[in-house]
Amino acid sequence: MKNKWLRKNTFHYSDFRDLKHLVAEKEKKNLTISLCLPTLNEEKTIAKEIVIMKSELITRYPLLDEIVVIDSGSTDKTMEVAEQFGADVYSADDILPDLNKYKGKGENLWKALYITKGDIIVYLDADIKNIHHRFAYALVGPLILSDNIKYSKAFYDRPIAIDKKKIRATGGGRVTELVIRPLFSIFFPELTQILQPLSGEYAGFREIFEKIPFPIGYGIETSMILDIYEKWGLDVIAQVDLEKRVHRNQDTKALGRMAFVIMKTFLDRIEKLGLIDKKHELFNEMIQFSLVEDSYEPDIYSFGTGDRPPIIEIEDYRRKFNIK
Amino acid sequence: MGKPFLENVTSYIDAMKSIQETILANIVLVGQIPAPTFHESQRAKMFMERLAEAQVDECTVDDFQNPIGIIRGSSRQKPPIFMVAHLDTFIDKEVDHNFTIKKNAVFGPGALDNSAGVGVLISMPEILQRLGLEFESDIILAGVIHSLGQGNLKGIRQLLDNWEGPIRGAVCVEGGELGRLNYYSEGIRRCDIECDISKSAGGWEQRFKPNAILILNEVINRVLRLRLPQRPRARVIVGKISGGFKHGIIAYDARLGLEIQSDSDKMVNEIYRDINDIVDGLKHEYQVNMTVKTISSTNASTLEFNHPLVKACVAIMKKLDLNPISEPSGSELSILLSKKIPAVTLGLTHGENYHLNNAKIEINSLFKGIAQIVGVIQAIDSGVCDEK
Repeated sequence: MKNKWLRKNTFHYSDFRDLKHLVAEKEKKNLTISLCLPTLNEEKTIAKEIVIMKSELITRYPLLDEIVVIDSGSTDKTMEVAEQFGADVYSADDILPDLNKYKGKGENLWKALYITKGDIIVYLDADIKNIHHRFAYALVGPLILSDNIKYSKAFYDRPIAIDKKKIRATGGGRVTELVIRPLFSIFFPELTQILQPLSGEYAGFREIFEKIPFPIGYGIETSMILDIYEKWGLDVIAQVDLEKRVHRNQDTKALGRMAFVIMKTFLDRIEKLGLIDKKHELFNEMIQFSLVEDSYEPDIYSFGTGDRPPIIEIEDYRRKFNIK
Repeated sequence: MGKPFLENVTSYIDAMKSIQETILANIVLVGQIPAPTFHESQRAKMFMERLAEAQVDECTVDDFQNPIGIIRGSSRQKPPIFMVAHLDTFIDKEVDHNFTIKKNAVFGPGALDNSAGVGVLISMPEILQRLGLEFESDIILAGVIHSLGQGNLKGIRQLLDNWEGPIRGAVCVEGGELGRLNYYSEGIRRCDIECDISKSAGGWEQRFKPNAILILNEVINRVLRLRLPQRPRARVIVGKISGGFKHGIIAYDARLGLEIQSDSDKMVNEIYRDINDIVDGLKHEYQVNMTVKTISSTNASTLEFNHPLVKACVAIMKKLDLNPISEPSGSELSILLSKKIPAVTLGLTHGENYHLNNAKIEINSLFKGIAQIVGVIQAIDSGVCDEK
C-alpha cells in the first residue's frame, strides 16, 4: 500500500498557527463555525475548555461563532459551570423532544447538528486536561484553507495521567492498536493511514455530517470514518497532529466495553457494505467476569445500539435550515 | 478636587468581570508552562507573544532576558511606571502543570505564586483598553526572571541596574493575598549549612563519627540560644532540614536552610557572624566538615508609612472594602526600594495551598484585586510619588 494520502493530507497544528490569516480566509469564504462540546459529568474540565476557546478563538481571534455544550444528563455541576463561563448549554433530551430519547455521545453530536448554526462544526471531547486552542483552530485549518477537504481528524501522542503529579511521555490508544487498526488492516488497508481513528476531536462541514447516520454511543468515530470514506472517498479527509493530549486513564475492563461497541458498529457497517454475511444476529451484551469471594460472577453490560438517521431526513431539521 | 483613581475604582470590578475569560485564560496558559528558577525562557516567550498580540507599543527583552512590554504614555517628561511580576516558580518542571477551572476558583501548581500575577500583567493591555484608561507615564510591564531562591532577585536587579533614567513608581504584582500592602522590606540573608562527615573520614572510620543530623541539631540549639534584640527587630527562621540515608545508619551528611531577617542590615550581618562562629566552633569540636553558604541576601529598605503612595494605596483599598495588612516583603520590592524608587507589593486574590501543587485562587476576589492595582497605577500617574 502506498502512503500517498498520509503524505498529502496530514498536517501539524503549527501549519495553522497564523490565526489572523485563518480568520481572514474564513471571512472571505463567508463561513460560520460552531464548537460543540458533548458532556456527561465533566465539571472538572469543562470550564477550562470554554474559557480558553472563548478567550482565544472568539474574543482574541473571531474564528468561532458559538460554543455549544450538549449534555446527556450530568449529575454534577457541568451544566451550571458551562453556563457560568458563557457557553450555550442544552440538555440532549430537550432537543427535538418529539423523537425517542437515547443516551450517548453519538446522540449528543447528532442533536448538536440541529442546535448549532455553523457551516463547520468542531467536536471536542470535554475531558481534555491540557486543552489548548490549537485543538480547535488546527482542526478547522484544513477545512478553511483547502477547497477539497471536508472532514479533519486529530491525532496526537497520548500521555496517560498516571497519578496526580507525574505524566509520562507515551502510551494510550490501546483500543486503536488492538481493535480498530487490525480491523482496518483486514477490511480497509487504506484507512490505516488514519493514525488515530478513535480520537474524539474532529471537525467537518455540515453538508457532510447532515448526510450520514450517527450511532448513538461510542461507535460514532468508527462509523463516521467508514461512512465518509464510502460516500466521498479518503481525499476529503485530513488528519492533524495536535502533539499532546492528556486524558483520564481508563481501566482495561472499561476499554473492553468500549472495544465491544466499536466492533459492533464496525461489523454492522461492513455488513451493510456487503463485505460479510452474518449467519445470525449479533448479541448485544458485553460479558465480563469478576472474582467475588470464591466465585466468578458475570458483569453484563447492555448497550443501546442503533443509528440516528442522517439528520437531513428529519423534518424539523429541514424546516429549521430551510432545506427543500 | 476629587481624586479620579478613588472615584472610579469600584466601577472597575464589573468591567474586569466582562473580560474574565481573557484574564483567566492568560493565568492558565502561562501557569501551565513550567518555569522553575533559571528555566523561565518558555514562560518569557509566551509573555512576549501575548504582549505582541495585544499590540503594545513596544515589546523587547533586556540584556538579561527579562521580557518587557511598554504602553506609551502621553507625556515625554514624566518618568515611567513599572508593573513587575516574577516569572519563576518553586514548582519542579516534572510536576503535571495542567490547571483546572471550577465554578469560583482556579487550581494549579504555582497558581498563587505567581501565575496569577503574570497572567494579570499580560492581560493589562486589554484591561486598560476595556477601562478606556490612558496615562501620562509610560507603563512598563516587566516579567522578571531568576527571582526566587538562588535566583536572588537577579532579574529585577539587572533590569534596574541597566535602566536609564528615573522611574516614577512601581507596583509588584503577586497572586496572593488580597489585602497585603508591602511597602518595606527587611534585611535578609538566606543560608545553607551543610555538614558532611564522610569527607573527614573515609571507610569504616566514619561509623564512629558523630551523626551529621545531630550536629546540625546542635547548631539549631545554639542559634536558638542567641539573644536577639527587640529593636531593631531580628529573627532567625529555620526553614528546611534534610539528610541521612536510612533508618538504621547514622547520617553521614545533612543540610539546614535558615534565614536571618531584621529591620537593620547591621543586625543581619552581626547574626550571620554569630552563626558562622557557632559553626566554626562545632566543626572544631566534632572534627567534621561543615560550611555556611549564603544563598541570597537583600538589604532593608522602606517607604515611610505616611508616604503619599502608601496613603493612596490605603485609600484605594478601603474604597474597595479591603483591610490593608502590612508586613515586610523580601521580594522585588526590596530591590526597587533600595534604588529609592517608590514601590509597593500588592496581592490579587485570596487563595489556599500557596506552595502546593493544588494551589487555589479565588476568581471573584481577583477582579477586586485587579481594580486595586489599576487604581494604584492611576494614583502614581496622578503624581502621588512626585510629591516627596
